[in-house]
Amino acid sequence: MAYALCFLLFMIGLYCAVVKKNMVKIVLGIVIMEYAVNLFLIMLGYLTGGVAPIIERSQYDAKTQTIAAEFLSASVDPLPQAMVLTSIVISLGSLALMISICIRTYAKYGTFDITEIRRLRG
Amino acid sequence: MTVIVRTVSSWVKVLIFLFGIYIILFGHLTPGGGFAGGVILASSYVLLMLAFGRTFVEANLPRSLASRLDCLGAFVFALIAILGLVFGGTFFVNFLYQTYLPGRPFALVSGGTIPLSNMAIGVKVGASLFLVIFTLAAFRAESQEPSEGNPANQGPGQKE
Repeated sequence: MAYALCFLLFMIGLYCAVVKKNMVKIVLGIVIMEYAVNLFLIMLGYLTGGVAPIIERSQYDAKTQTIAAEFLSASVDPLPQAMVLTSIVISLGSLALMISICIRTYAKYGTFDITEIRRLRG
Repeated sequence: MTVIVRTVSSWVKVLIFLFGIYIILFGHLTPGGGFAGGVILASSYVLLMLAFGRTFVEANLPRSLASRLDCLGAFVFALIAILGLVFGGTFFVNFLYQTYLPGRPFALVSGGTIPLSNMAIGVKVGASLFLVIFTLAAFRAESQEPSEGNPANQGPGQKE
């Protein structure tokens, strides 16, 4: 069910990126798609009733250098979270690139409508 | 901006910067790390830019220095990775923790090369995010006065 909602969010972003004619709205659609994928990856690692994957002192045995078994069974998967952090960084970079392209286009053509940006002006 | 925003941001900027350094240094123990701390470092400069304007921030942290810090962070991060290849035999291996620096768990000096990598990433992310916002502000200043012929606004930093 939650995955279906994730897919619905992705489809909303795809609709926004494909149908809309304003460049800023296209950028928003692409960002919504990225966030839907991020949400999907986070939910893959989710565990019902799980705890955050951060070890506390009481859960670590210094003598045998082992982590308590109940922590290992209860914590959520930290790997999708690290992956999604990297994905957020990349989406930040691409968002800055898209926004700067929008700003340059608006400065050159005076409009955000992609149907009016046709001619190449050198 | 108004005098209230200027005064409060001149007080708060140091605290935000210090909090970013804390997040970077304790990145291997608590939630956070190089990226989050670098974003906080950049946000302190963004606050200054919002309150005092772009020219004040450029006098404080020049664009060339920020660009050099950006490149330095990436270079140090790659250097740590290659040092792992040289000393440990594998790319990115934690050579300090296994041989030279056997720290206790939950201590500050316990991560080997991971805090060093966090610092490199923090400098890299902070400088590059500062450059991104600075360049967007330069774009905005340029597009507001397109034909004034102001030589100070010509050719903002498009290469980052």
